[in-house]
Amino acid sequence: MRLWAPIALVIVLALFPVVFPAELNYLGLGFLTFIFVTLAVSWNMVGGYAGQVSFGYAAFFGTAAYVTAILWRNGWDPILTLPFAGLAAVAVALLVGLPCFRLLGPYFSIATIGIGETSRILALNLDQLTGGASGLNLPLSVPSKPWFYWSGLALAGVAVGVSAWLRASRIGLGLFALRMDQDAAESVGLNSTLYKHIAHCVSAFLVGVAAGLYVVYLSYIHPDTVFSFTLSISMVLMGVIGGVGTLWGPVLGATIYLPLQQLLLAQPNLVAVNQLIFGGLLIAIVLFEPGGLLGLLRRLAHR
Amino acid sequence: MYEPSAIAGLVVTAVLTAGLYALMSYGLALVYGVMKIINLAHAGTMMLSAFVVLELNHRFHLDPILGAAVSAALFLGIGMLLYVLAVRRVIGAPPIASLLLLFGVWLCAQNAAYFFWGSEDQSIVTAYTLATIPLGGVPVPVVRLIPFLASLVALGVLSWFLRSTDLGKAIRAVSQNSTAARLAGIRAERVGTIAFGIGSSLSAFAGGLLTLLFSFNPDFGHTLQLKSFAIIVLGGLESFPGVALGAVVLAAIESFSILIPGWRGSLVNLLAFSLLVAALVLLPGGIASLLERRGKTE
Repeated sequence: MRLWAPIALVIVLALFPVVFPAELNYLGLGFLTFIFVTLAVSWNMVGGYAGQVSFGYAAFFGTAAYVTAILWRNGWDPILTLPFAGLAAVAVALLVGLPCFRLLGPYFSIATIGIGETSRILALNLDQLTGGASGLNLPLSVPSKPWFYWSGLALAGVAVGVSAWLRASRIGLGLFALRMDQDAAESVGLNSTLYKHIAHCVSAFLVGVAAGLYVVYLSYIHPDTVFSFTLSISMVLMGVIGGVGTLWGPVLGATIYLPLQQLLLAQPNLVAVNQLIFGGLLIAIVLFEPGGLLGLLRRLAHR
Repeated sequence: MYEPSAIAGLVVTAVLTAGLYALMSYGLALVYGVMKIINLAHAGTMMLSAFVVLELNHRFHLDPILGAAVSAALFLGIGMLLYVLAVRRVIGAPPIASLLLLFGVWLCAQNAAYFFWGSEDQSIVTAYTLATIPLGGVPVPVVRLIPFLASLVALGVLSWFLRSTDLGKAIRAVSQNSTAARLAGIRAERVGTIAFGIGSSLSAFAGGLLTLLFSFNPDFGHTLQLKSFAIIVLGGLESFPGVALGAVVLAAIESFSILIPGWRGSLVNLLAFSLLVAALVLLPGGIASLLERRGKTE
């Protein structure tokens, strides 16, 4: 895609709070969507580009969220904590990647489910640090809704930019090669583990910053929300439904997933079908259109 | 420091829990053995089966043990149908496709259960829920003994089935080498259908019997599914005696963890999840491969 279209999209989105300053609910929804776009795009660097489908990203999200929360409670400016949240997520990513990248395909996925749940139970039990099952209340956030909207947009923009750069870079080519045939890639001298670690760390950093920003927005943190399996799943769903391994697929997936989910959760009689829709979409996509919704759109456009 | 009777109690608990764990892992091992896919819908099957048993109990006052048998028969059909409609199409695809597909099935099952039964915890109380039988001085709850015995029976029947019947031999042949089995005239497709049905049926049977012990809601099965993964990885993924061995190892570690100073009950699931990751990374062939390797080097 040419460069002007995404830039125009960002400008249009950035003007929204200026044109409609009173629509605070939509600004909140926009912010959450940008956070989830960031998560989906970051997840896709490992789950899509490298083909290592992880069900354990909540471990990064939760750790980073707690780093922001705890530093903030100790008097830090919450915005200054964000890089440290990202670095904490990178540390966890290295810790997870070192053993787990020795595993291939579905075994990697299963191990990451174990990692995600392990981190949640640890967080629930380290109650001195995390507030345990009662969570932690944080200072009421100072910035305004438009501020969150713009920072979310900026973060999502950076994530897409990094993803585009990674995809076109030497590392991206290496990731595609090892996704297609790891043995062949290694036989021509590619250090597949190193490449996976690079993608994992870059993606974890972005997830960590998003997690920090999310916590500043909510002013409350609980192990069961920031370490939840549902959160890990949501990244898989957004990536796969949108179009795994593509640049714009996860963006599409997240802009459908989050607003739809918020809409369904707001309707008492539709709460139950919330994941049913996404589960059904996942089945349909695996069976009929492995390229996701983006693949479907492309196919329709070519017709 | 610890009374011998307390240790005896722990041993009994470990053995009984091992039976329960083995019972809920056979289905996973069978499906993995025949089609080399990890059945992420296992948790959904156990959970739905628990609700089927609940309905049978409420409507027809059917005992949960009989209910579990009925549910097992029901899920034999559902499993075969699921295989024919969906799973069959992803058998040759990259393994991640089947994982995502069955994960989608689990999500749908979970939400269907939310839709029909709501998110409250449900439980089934029977006349023998609180009964105990003294076994060597240790009082053993009946509801723990039943899944244990069922597990032994299931292991016996499965071993006999796989060893002595034509269908069982065909299943073993396909799991050892599916191409060679095809060349010998075995319809691998049909064997896959039946194996997936039996696997689902075993998961459903386990899920039904678990209602004796645990309360459940639509999220039921998630933790147990991860434990089952840990068990089958420890057992070498596709052997039934291996499953029993893995179940004993996990149950023993969990039961004896309370002897660790400063241990908390809420940390117990951590053991299974860490064991899962450790076993995947360090023991890809299961405990048996470790013993074999030891044997060869000596």
